Amino acid sequence: MKVKLTFSTEALPTAIRLLPTILSVAYSDTFKEHLANPRNAGTLEGADAEVEQSNPVCGDRLRLALRVRGRRIEAARFLAYGCPPTLACGSALAWMLEGMTLDEAARLTRAEIAEAAGGLPPRKQHAAALAYETLQESLTLLRT
Amino acid sequence: MRRVYLDHSATTPVDPRVVEALLPFLTAKFGNPSSVHFYGQEARAAVDRARREVAGLVGARPNEIVFTSGGTEANNLAVRGHCEQAADQGRHVITTAIEHSSVRGICEALERRDWEVTRLPVYGDGVVRVEDVRAALRPDTVLVTVMLANNEVGTVQPVAEIAALVRELREAGQKHLRLHTDAVQAAAGMRVDVDELGCDLLSLSAHKLYAPKGVGALYVRRGVRLAPQNIGGHQERERRGGTESVPLIVAFGEAARLTRVELEERTRRIRSLRERFETGVESRVADIVYNGDRARRLPGVSNISFRFIEGEGLLINLDMQGVAVSTGSACSSGSLEPSPVIRALGRDDELARGSIRFSLGKDTTEEEIDYVLEVLPRAVENLRRLSPLYQKAVGSRQYALRSGS
Repeated sequence: MKVKLTFSTEALPTAIRLLPTILSVAYSDTFKEHLANPRNAGTLEGADAEVEQSNPVCGDRLRLALRVRGRRIEAARFLAYGCPPTLACGSALAWMLEGMTLDEAARLTRAEIAEAAGGLPPRKQHAAALAYETLQESLTLLRT
Repeated sequence: MRRVYLDHSATTPVDPRVVEALLPFLTAKFGNPSSVHFYGQEARAAVDRARREVAGLVGARPNEIVFTSGGTEANNLAVRGHCEQAADQGRHVITTAIEHSSVRGICEALERRDWEVTRLPVYGDGVVRVEDVRAALRPDTVLVTVMLANNEVGTVQPVAEIAALVRELREAGQKHLRLHTDAVQAAAGMRVDVDELGCDLLSLSAHKLYAPKGVGALYVRRGVRLAPQNIGGHQERERRGGTESVPLIVAFGEAARLTRVELEERTRRIRSLRERFETGVESRVADIVYNGDRARRLPGVSNISFRFIEGEGLLINLDMQGVAVSTGSACSSGSLEPSPVIRALGRDDELARGSIRFSLGKDTTEEEIDYVLEVLPRAVENLRRLSPLYQKAVGSRQYALRSGS
């Protein structure tokens, strides 16, 4: 198993821009469902890649573990600490990834992750950015 | 869905008796208190009655009460009003690291206008030290502003002892030195008496006392002059221009009367419910840290940090089960920064982010507390299962157990 700890720099400017804003509490039902019943939460036995990224501004963390057979993601698990959008994006990402090929996973966008999480308020897009970064870092690790 | 409101520090439901008192002033009794005719005098009499009740709540004289639009305006009038008035005598203000955002903001604005501000620390217990105030006082200090009870952790500050220091200096010749205290949170949970406290200025807000939002008051001790911040008519003895909001002032008066009459019974009940709550939490949830001195705090406030998880996630989880609480200060909730108040207690970022304020009210019941005790441990457990911080801590504990250390 390969484990790598890195900091997400992508989320930094977004998070700084968002600092003075106040949370919108209008979350969707899908979002709340991810919070109430997170998908694919936990650790993964026999993971081929495990990556933990953190947002240095707000301290949010996302850990993603993937097990790959052939070129397909057989299992994906996440752990997350931070504001609700980070938890929801972790849940949505791990859930989407299972069954995807590595090429399909590589084409996932931040917007698709945010959408799968039930949509995020503009001020909380950094959560999707953290999920995206974590995924990209995992895929890079699998390629090496 | 069952709903339990444990956010009384943010605001309180309006007491039906208060609604009943204010309704006629939205309909038949609509006069402007400045008018000389019957309608005006009817409104004037109602405002005067309310003024007596609010004065009675804090042991003041009626003409020492200035009605405002709320606590924030009262704080603005007190701090800015006094500082503008006393600017020729000195430009130094002493405050604390845990004031409400309004006082914090006013102090920052003063600094931008070349005032000096000393912010006193509160240490791990959330209480300011009188010796620190003594050390910070200077010949050019014109104002000390220290809240009576904190809005996030509920800790009660030694305002009377600070007042003794201020009085000492004033008697020694520093005539323009004044003491302001923000009693917005305190008034609902403890006896507040301006003479016992010895303060010169004291802020109040009605909506923390089961009255509507939009009205508050500033107590201004006789002889203290303020530069008015709302310039307009002659209302409030030239201290706050603008037609009085008669219905809201009447509501505030009735709420103040009820608070005075019922305070002892309310606080006794609330304190025992909080005891039930905290004992319950301790027996059901591990890895918690109380924020603020547990002996020296308002009876209805319980601020707890839950390790390994973040407050907002817990707040939303509880909300989905009908339980309303808050994290950080109500005003800063949702910003990416951990609560400055919890940080001022010396807590690390993780504990500051994991803090939740439960604030009980006069109508909170045992059944409601028991319901919260049923859903809270599950919500904490669910979030901890997701948390990489928790997994690491569990891992190292298991290792410690295995290795016998």
